[in-house]
This record gives sequence, structure tokens and C-alpha cells, in this order.
Amino acid sequence: MNLAFLRGIFIGSLHAMVPITLTATGEVIGESSGLFNIGLEGIILMSAMTGALGAEAGGPIAGLLIGVATGAAIGLVFGSICTYFKGVQLIAGVGINLFAAGLVTFWLIDLGVPGHHAVADEGQMVDISTPLGDLSPMIIVAFVLPVLTYILLFRTKLGLKIRAVGENPQAADVAGINVHRLRLLSTVVGASLAGLAGAYISVDWMGSVTKEISAGRGFIALATVVFSGLNPMLVLLGGFIFGFFDNLAVWVSTMPAVQRVIPWQFVSMAPYIVTLLVVAGVIGRVRFPAAMGIPYERE
Amino acid sequence: MGFAAGALIMMVYGYDPISAYRALFSGAFGDLYGFSESLANATPLILTALTFAIGFRGGMFNIGAEGQLYLGALAAVTLSLLHLPPAMVFALSLICAVLAGAIWSLPVAILKATRGVHEVISTIMLNWISQFLAFYLIANILVDPMRAEKTISIAEGVRFPVLVPGTSLSYGIFISLFAAIIVYLFLWRTVIGFDIRAMGHNAMAATYAGIEKWKIIVFVFITGGFTAGLAGAVHVMGRPPTYAVYSGMPSITGLGFEGLAVAMIGRNHPIGIIISGIFFGGLLAGGRIMQLFAQVPLEMVRVVEGIVVLFLAIPELIRLFSFLRKMGPIVIFRSKRSSDEDRRRL
Amino acid sequence: MEGKGDIILEGKGICKGFPGVWEHLILDHIDIDVKAGEIHTLLGENGAGKTVIANCLSGFYLLSEGQILVKGKPVTLKSPRDGIRHGIGMVHQELALVKPFTVAQNIVLGLSSSDLTFPLTEVEDRVRELSEKYRLYIDPLARVEDLSAGEQQRAEIIKVLYHDPEILILDEPTSLISTDAEHLFDALNSLAKMGYGILFITHKIEEALEAGDRVTVLRLGKSMGTKETAKTDKTELVKLMFGEHTPVHLERKPVKSDKIALEVKNLEALAADEEPALQGVSFTIREGEIIGFAGISGNGQSELAEVITGLRRATRGQVVIHGKDYTNRSPGEIIRAGVSHIPEKRREMGVIEPMTVAENVVLKDIRISPFSKGPFLNMPHITGHTQEIVSRFGALVSDLWKSQTRILSGGNIQRLILGRETWRMPKCIVAVYPTQGLDAKAVNHTWELFMRLREAGSAILLVSEDLDEIMALSDRIAVMSQGKIAGMLDGGAAKREEIGLMIATGAPKT
Repeated sequence: MNLAFLRGIFIGSLHAMVPITLTATGEVIGESSGLFNIGLEGIILMSAMTGALGAEAGGPIAGLLIGVATGAAIGLVFGSICTYFKGVQLIAGVGINLFAAGLVTFWLIDLGVPGHHAVADEGQMVDISTPLGDLSPMIIVAFVLPVLTYILLFRTKLGLKIRAVGENPQAADVAGINVHRLRLLSTVVGASLAGLAGAYISVDWMGSVTKEISAGRGFIALATVVFSGLNPMLVLLGGFIFGFFDNLAVWVSTMPAVQRVIPWQFVSMAPYIVTLLVVAGVIGRVRFPAAMGIPYERE
Repeated sequence: MGFAAGALIMMVYGYDPISAYRALFSGAFGDLYGFSESLANATPLILTALTFAIGFRGGMFNIGAEGQLYLGALAAVTLSLLHLPPAMVFALSLICAVLAGAIWSLPVAILKATRGVHEVISTIMLNWISQFLAFYLIANILVDPMRAEKTISIAEGVRFPVLVPGTSLSYGIFISLFAAIIVYLFLWRTVIGFDIRAMGHNAMAATYAGIEKWKIIVFVFITGGFTAGLAGAVHVMGRPPTYAVYSGMPSITGLGFEGLAVAMIGRNHPIGIIISGIFFGGLLAGGRIMQLFAQVPLEMVRVVEGIVVLFLAIPELIRLFSFLRKMGPIVIFRSKRSSDEDRRRL
Repeated sequence: MEGKGDIILEGKGICKGFPGVWEHLILDHIDIDVKAGEIHTLLGENGAGKTVIANCLSGFYLLSEGQILVKGKPVTLKSPRDGIRHGIGMVHQELALVKPFTVAQNIVLGLSSSDLTFPLTEVEDRVRELSEKYRLYIDPLARVEDLSAGEQQRAEIIKVLYHDPEILILDEPTSLISTDAEHLFDALNSLAKMGYGILFITHKIEEALEAGDRVTVLRLGKSMGTKETAKTDKTELVKLMFGEHTPVHLERKPVKSDKIALEVKNLEALAADEEPALQGVSFTIREGEIIGFAGISGNGQSELAEVITGLRRATRGQVVIHGKDYTNRSPGEIIRAGVSHIPEKRREMGVIEPMTVAENVVLKDIRISPFSKGPFLNMPHITGHTQEIVSRFGALVSDLWKSQTRILSGGNIQRLILGRETWRMPKCIVAVYPTQGLDAKAVNHTWELFMRLREAGSAILLVSEDLDEIMALSDRIAVMSQGKIAGMLDGGAAKREEIGLMIATGAPKT
């Protein structure tokens, strides 16, 4: 154990933290308004794909933006189904996941190598060199966004409205707030962040797209949201914790000494086990918006 | 509608949807070979679909079939390590697979009943955990000493015999059909099944009628685990030519999630599931032919599946059309109550 | 402010119908007016239409017919926002507050300023200002869920006053608060003196006489006239509210048994919103006796039924069935103890709508032989039994096993439920609003059924808002008010006005 090793782990964790934190922050906004989006996994997958393609066409920034747009588009469809069309949120979300899985697999085959596509170099993001090591600028984004979201939700009238809509949509309606429109907006924003996360994975972090690239991170993000109790600042913490475990497996697989004691498969399990424990332990204490998951009807 | 969307995507890519679909269907159902392959594909799908369907009927989302079937398959493989008379191993394999699935779904049930953990998150996490566990077992304990990329094969006398020579269709299909019938009887002809359905329709009324929620949760997940574990075992034990699991589990992965789609399209009813399972199996089988003749990759099928499920999320499509008709509705607020209550509370 | 005495709000010929309710108009050509500087009470039973007209006047509901005039000018109100714009503010019976938010945050919600601002301090200051001005003391920084019912109501009033209305409509403001009523009346008086026009809705006669300058009585959607409170009295108002009726007499033999079937001791429980719903209820029912719980709904009757049948937790007290303690047991156990429950929400709880008629008829019995043999359902027996129940109770059904129960009319569903709950001649029946929505013939059949059950020794707890029903069936009549039994009357002897008075005042006759 030396400093370089620890530093390496720390940097790896920071990178791994980004997609989880971004997605979870977005979902906090969405869930605060009352919509539970289980399709995050699918959004990450889709935008990883579209982001990668966008990056190859127009550079890394373009890739990220396309990822955001993909997320926003899917969020729009999902949100509309669940607000104006009174759809069941869980089913719609599962539909998104299936659709994304199929489309991405199909696309990968179409592009040449089934199951895998490496983003061309021009597409990849350039890391900033710091004394700590090479850090992606997205890490900064991942730190800033939760803070901004916190300010939005708890220090502006808009945030108040969003939370009101999730807590007591009838009271919000009485106060003149357009419940459906606000929920839709929150969901679109949330999905956009998930889109950004997906694009980050392919364009920046991993540099490639596979059909498993989301690796359950959408669901880990959901667990992070539970862990945070819908507080964006805690999302930051949760994101780092999960990112740490996410990254750990990669590290362990390069260290034969550890390998002999703990096989890599068990380390890979870690983020999911931790998630499960967190959700089981925390869930009693965490308070969700009272009207979350229920389609709103004015009659 | 899903097919229409699929056609659209195909056309975008420059494929000809007509010939694609024609190849698809003839490949799936046109001849004996195709039909057998369709049924073979359907075999595990029917079982995993039953897992989701039972959960859905009880008002829950059990998407843990994926993780449970991995363990079921591996349990069956494990039994082949034993040197016992084949008939016994056969029986034990099935039993252990079924139990493995049930055991893996127990944590979900317990967490939900005691701590209210939403089953979607817990099943997904357990799916991933079981996947890595499976990887470990495949690479280490169950590995074939001769060929490291796969597990040991199911012993000779323990396999499901092939039903139609030259195809992958084994007698396993009967197990699937049998299971579907059992599930039907379970849900519609037993007291517990009645209670499960009641709870799924209306939890408040079910409680009023004396049904206890935790009992339902446990039953739903355990029976779901049974069918999922069975799916894994039946698949491995009926899969020529190797009757084993390869590292990375290419043939098993996705069976759980596909089962979900099968269940939804089959409207979560065993008969519907059988039909939709054969249909999906056909899509996959025909997909290969489609790939050959129309050069459309068979993953297109997945896309179509996803779109169909998305549309299924909208509860009443009729309401969709009437909503479109009255554009610019007047805003009238009324909290949602029945007219009886309305009149009384005035 | 308008000059005192001028009419600032007027409704002319207001009609309102609700889709799905076609028996009669909810509001039937109502004329009403409110003058500046007066407190005008709207008095009536439940179902009379008080809340509906208030909602119409504030912009909540659209009028089916009629006109609303503010300061003499006709206005169209399409939403509560319109109401506010025209100076009409309404305090609802079920407060429109977001519970985890603070008072100030709740007010910010309704402001029309830009979304990115957060004028919290501004709002907090203004709230304190208004508190002083109207003597409705409330801490703007307090979270709504931490406040008492009375304080929450004050917060709601301040929220409405924040928008500077000239007309204030309050819907049953004293239903939530019991002890703070005095403060409220003081506040309303000072508001009136300042020139506000106040429309105050209540079902309590004493409040109407005490608080109001004028009172309008509503019965079944029709206005029974407006009187000046100085020139009228309780008796007249009761007559206007309840009407004159000849009681229906059913042949009734005295109660035979002395054995107590159901006993409730000092029961306390919370309502869904965590407010106390039952505050120490005690009574007994003997075998073969019917106790009728009269009173306006919302005073704890529903919660009482729910606690007895195991659907709600009792925080204190006991429920004793035939001598055994069944407090806080599961609904299943209580069903097995021989208690039947005809529930209030027949479509949401009494039946499972997507399931078939047969399945609903055996909903509770299915666990017992001969409806099931071991784990398996005994289909032929179920079919036969359902056939019998359906014909005996007159529920019109075409196909027992195919059609969903959802398609049945409310009346038929109720007949189904009655059949299911009473065919065994259960020892104990809890019937909550059992004849709601039934036609006259069905009502009579139900009454006869209850009398037969009573003869056979069943103990029946009846909750009803229909005074005719209560008087016809009950051996004893209990009036519930605010979670307690306000008084117990003898069923045979009590007169209609007596009961009506007890209901309307919430206090026993002195």
C-alpha cells in the first residue's frame, strides 16, 4: 500500500462516481415532483450509444450534448405517458429499459462489431492534468450539479413548487400550479442528467460502448436516491460511496495478491450488495413525497 | 403498433420490412424445423414469464427471474457432479433448481414484508449479485476440467431427450406447458391463488376480507422463484449439443427479462403466456432466417418488444383518443372520490 | 372596502349537477347574497349542498346554470385563481396546505412572482404583520405538520388573507377545531367590522345563531330561505333543516337477551391525517339489539367501524366481542369471531371490482369448507351458493362467472354485499351507511332484513345519516360528535326534533 496506489483508487472512484451522481441528482428532481423513473438504466444505455456516435461526428462536447438530448427526449415520452396519459410509472419505465436494451444491441451490430464499439480517439474527452492525476472535467460537473440542484429545490420558489407537486398535488393545484406540466418538466430535466451520465460513460470514462455498459448503474442511482432521502448533497456522498465500490472491482482484478484471497467476482458484487443493504437499512427512515408514484387526476 | 414502429426503424436503416417480416414468420412457423426451434426458444421463456405473471397478479413487480434462473441452471449442473443413478440425479436436479430459485427470491420477500423495500430494486440487485456468483461458480467450482470456457455438462442420462431430431427442441417443453397449467390451477382454483389475485386487484378490499399481506408476498415470490429456477434447469438440461453453461452465460442471459415481455404481452395469464412465449420464441427463431434473407439483425426483435411494452403502460388507449379529442380542456378541480362519498361529504 | 351593508357577493339561480348523479340537482336554483361587514351563515345537513355552493362561489367548481355577481357586476369564475382575482378567498374544510412545508413556504407557493426568487423573508414579515392585524397568531416559520389543528386553520386563513380578498368563505371551520372556536369567532367579528363580507358554512345551529348576522338554510340542494339571526330561533331552524316527517314504524318486540355481544371501552384512535378521531368511546350492544349511530359523518363514525373490524389501530381502549378481547386484531380474526362488516366505501372496499360476482360473493367465506376443500376451491358449491344469494337478495346479474363486478350499479353492489355479509346470520354486524343509493323498495327490504336478524339474535351497529332509518330500526340511538358519543337516546321514545337538535348542536339536551 503506497500513496500512489491510494491516489489511484481515489481517482478511479471519482471517475466512477460521475454517472451515478449525475443520474441520481436528476432523479431527485424527478422524484421530488412525484414521478418514479425506473427507466434510468435504459436512458443511460441509450445515451451512451448516441453520445458515442455524436462524439465521433462532432467531438466530445457534441457527444455529451447529444446524450443530454437523448435523455431529454426519452424523459419527455416517459413523462407524458405518466402525467397526461395517466400511465403506470413502473411499466413505462420497464418498457424504456427493454426498448433501450434492444435498440443498442441492434445498433452495435449494425456498426460492425457485435456487442462492442470503441469510440474513436477524436471523440474522447481530454482529461485535465492535476497534481492528483488525470481528472476529467466532468468530475467538476458532478460536484457542482448536486449543489445547484440543492439550491434549486430548497432555495427557490420553483423548487418549492416541485416539491409541493410531489407532496400534495391537490394543494398545489389549488394554488394555481399546473401539476402535469411541472412533473413533466422535472422528469425531462432528470432524464437529461441521466443522458449526460450515459454519454459520459462512453465518451469520457470508458471510451467505448457495449450492450452492458450501463451495468446496473441506473438502478444503483435509484438506490442512491433512496439513500440520500432526496437531498442532493447526500447524493454526492452516496455517489462517491457507490463509485468507490464500482471502481474497486477493476482495481482488484489487477492485483494478483488480492485476487488469491477474494476472487474478482465477489468484489464486483460489492456495489450491489452495498446498495441492497443501504436500501434495506435506510428505507424505514427515509421519507418520500407523499404523492410519489401516483398518477394525478383532477377529475 | 410495435410492429409498425419496428418497420419504421427498419426502413430508416434501409432494410425492406416486408421481406424481413416475411422471412421472419416463415422462418418461425413455416416448417417443422422452424416451429421446433420456436418451441425450444419458448420453453424457458414461458417459465420466466410465469414468474413475473404471478408477481403481477399479486400486485407486485417480480423481475428477479433473471438472477433466479442462473442459480437454477447452476444447481442442475452441480447435481451432475454427483455419481448417482441418472434417474435420481434427474429428479434431484429439478428439485434443487426449483429450490435454488425460491431461496434466491426469499430475501426479496422478507425485505418487502418487513422493511417495505421495493421489490424492483431488491430483485435487480440480487440479479447482479447472482450473476457474479454464477460467474465465479462457472469459472471455478463447476468448470469443466477439459474445456475451461464452460461448466461440466449435464450427465448423459440426466438430459431431456430431444423431441424432434435435428432441432433443439427437447421434452423440456412439456415441463413448461405443465408448469403453466399448474400455475393456472394455482391462481384460479386454490384459495391462496384467489387471495393473491384479490390482493393484486385491490389491497384495501383484500385486507378488509381478511387476507394477510405478508402471506401473499411470501407466496408470490417463492412460487415465482420456483418457476424461474425451473427455467434455468430445463434450459440447461435440454440444450444440445453441450448441455452446459458457458462462461459469460451467453445463452441464458436475458431469459429473465424476455420473460417479462412475454408475460406482459400474454397479459399475465398462463394461456396467454404460452401463446406469447411461442410467439417470442418464433421471433427469435425466425430472426435468424430474417438475418439471412433480409439482412436485418435479429436484435430488432428486442426493439419491437420494448416498444410494445411501452405502449402497454398506457392503461386505456381509448382514453388516449378521447383526450386528444378534447384539446384545451377546461380546468375543473375536484379531488377524486366516488359520487356516493361526494354527496355525503357536501 | 364597500360601504357596510352593500351586497358584495351575490349568487342568482345557481344550479349544479354532477355527472353520474342524476337523481337530483346538487344545487337547485339557489339565490344567496353576502353583504359587506356581515357574517352570513349557511346552514344545512350533510348532502344539503353547502360545500358545493361555496366551491361554486369561489371558483372551484363551474356553475351548471346561474350567475355570480361581485359588487353588482357579473363575473365568470373558471378557477380558484379567478376567485382570488375578484377578491374572493376560500378556506376549505380539508385544508389545502402542504404538510412538510412551513407556513411561509405554503404562502410562497401561491404567489405570482418569478420562479427563481425565494421571497421567504418578505412573506414571513408580512405574515407577522397580518397576524397582528387580524389577531390570528401564527408563526410563519413553523412547519404545518407540527401545528395543532386550530393553528393549521389559522395558517390557512392567513394564507387566504394574504391575497387581500374582500370576501371570505369558510367551509365548516369548526369541524377541525373544538376549543379554539372562540378565537375564531373573535377574529371573524373583527374581520367583519373591518368591512369584509364573510360566508360561514356550518351544520351546527348554535354556531349559526351565535356567529352570524343572517342565516340561510339549505336542504337537499334547495334554499329554504334566509333569516336574520336576531329574529329566529333553534326550533325554526331545525324545522327548516330537517323538515317535517312522519316516522316509519316497524313492528318491534323488546330486546330479549341480556348478553352483551359487543362492548367498546374508552376507545381512542387517530384518523388518516393523524388527528384524533375517537376520543374515548364506550358502549355495549346486546344480542338482538340495534344501536343506531346518528350524526353528521366525519365525527368518528367511520373510524369507529374501522377499529371494531380491525382495519384501524386503536391507540387506547378495548374492543370486546362475546367476552373476548379483540382489540387491534387482524381483520381475518375478527371475521372469524363472527363479525360482519358492511363497509362505507362499497366500491373501493366492499367488493373487488375487477373480480367476478361469484368471487365477490364468496370473498370472505372462501377459506372455509365447503367453499373450499383443503387448498382447492369447490367451484360447484360456490356457484350454487352465489346463485342463491343473488336471487335472494335481488342483485341483477347476468353471468356469475364472467362479468366483472364493476359493471353493476351501486345499488346492486350493495345488495351483493348485504347478501354476503348476512346470509350466515352473523352474531355481530357493523353496517355503515347500508342503504345509501338504494331505491325505496331495496331500503325497505334491507330494513326488514335487519329486523329479522335482530330477531334471530344478531347485534347490529348501524351508522346512518338517514334519520328515518335510525328511528325505524334502532333500539337505542347514539349521536356522535367529534369523536365522542354526545348522547344516547331511547329508540322508541325519542322524537325527531330531539335527535335533530342533538346532531345539530353536538351536545346533549340540557
